[in-house]
Amino acid sequence: MSFQFETKVMGETLPLLMSGVKLTVIITLSGLLIGFVLGAGFGLLKLSPRLWLKRLAGIYVETVRGTPLIVQVMFLYFGLPMATGLRIPPLAAGIIAIAINSGAYIAEIVRGAVQSIDRGQMEAGRSIGLTKGQTMLYVIWPQAFKRMIPPLGNQFIISLKDTSLLTVIGVAELTRGGQEIIAVNFRAFEVWLTVGLTYLVMTMSIAWALKHVEERLSGAAGR
Amino acid sequence: MIHIKNLHKSFGDLEVVKGVDLHVREREVVCIIGPSGSGKSTVLRCINRLEEITSGSIVVDNHDLYDPTTDINDIRTEAGMVFQQFNLFPHLSVLDNICLGPLKVRKLTRKEAELLGRQLLAKVGLAEKADVYPDQLSGGQKQRVAIARALALQPKVILFDEPTSALDPELVGEVLEVMKKLAQEGMTMVVVTHEMGFAQEVADRVIFFDQGVIKEEGVPRELFANPKEPRLRDFLGKVIAHG
Repeated sequence: MSFQFETKVMGETLPLLMSGVKLTVIITLSGLLIGFVLGAGFGLLKLSPRLWLKRLAGIYVETVRGTPLIVQVMFLYFGLPMATGLRIPPLAAGIIAIAINSGAYIAEIVRGAVQSIDRGQMEAGRSIGLTKGQTMLYVIWPQAFKRMIPPLGNQFIISLKDTSLLTVIGVAELTRGGQEIIAVNFRAFEVWLTVGLTYLVMTMSIAWALKHVEERLSGAAGR
Repeated sequence: MIHIKNLHKSFGDLEVVKGVDLHVREREVVCIIGPSGSGKSTVLRCINRLEEITSGSIVVDNHDLYDPTTDINDIRTEAGMVFQQFNLFPHLSVLDNICLGPLKVRKLTRKEAELLGRQLLAKVGLAEKADVYPDQLSGGQKQRVAIARALALQPKVILFDEPTSALDPELVGEVLEVMKKLAQEGMTMVVVTHEMGFAQEVADRVIFFDQGVIKEEGVPRELFANPKEPRLRDFLGKVIAHG
């Protein structure tokens, strides 16, 4: 056995991975964008005084959190079309899966952050004549949002890495890209190393960006 | 201005207000005193429906609070509230704390709201603090901002829920000064307080709460000089001994 580490292979691999990187970024960004909307909505529903709304949100969160993402993806892509006859393209299925999955976790983040805001804030808002909705919008949400940022950053990083599971439905994202290159050159060590480092660069960018947002928010808006 | 009839309020099995009748006239300053847990804050919070009543009726400025046609948000703009813990909005500047209500509820333009906000800040002696954030203020300053915030809606009555209880002793005076000024201007005020000196000096009427009912009420001079109820005598003895 004579293994020879070749940096040259890594250099050759990187450009070939770029289309995969692009897809990974697209899936992550759009999945999280929809996921955040879902999460904000269901997170607030969890705080609703109406029991059935609260239950509905509870069922969503528990179902998604209690089943593996890969099963959710397979169900969405292979399972649902059998029952409905509606075939979803792989990329769309991937985005939907990431959105639904991250949405459930974000719902819990939103719920926790909103609940952590002192009850007196809602009372103060109501006492100056704001409606419940206005108080949520102008008083509670801005404060809660600041508290959401660290756990959201965590979730963004998890979701980005989760896109690698979409390989199983044939989405040509970064991990799939790596597999295809290895199928040709058999340089598993260099290729997986390059793929791993590429993920690392992306996750660290997220962490950096959110730290920036956090600093700006606490700088501009007091504590 | 405020008419409360046979008010009862329970939290679960615990009845904290057991039949209270209370009437507050326009321009009157009423101080409510009594031991903690006597239900005095609860009654105050019922007046703008921060607590839902169990039974009885409350009429504020000729609006029955529990009439389905009454818009509770309107009542709340007529009855301002000042909290023990200030409850300023920490993410907004002092000026924005005051302007939020006028902007969103009274639909003033930003210019009008800011003008009003600055006038009110000057009134509570904090004109120079318009652009700072609440966490840069002392407790006394926070409470003065909270009073300005309540005034910004131009309410007909202001409810004070132990406004000085969370303050360091040396900061109590500045808040009481502002309240005294308001009283002199003819603002209708209901004040739950432990400040007997303030009650004696400023109140038109003092009400003693104990165990969920009004035990005694009267003009401050008489009530403090000749308390009839043994519970009130006992209470005053303790408060004044510690004050």
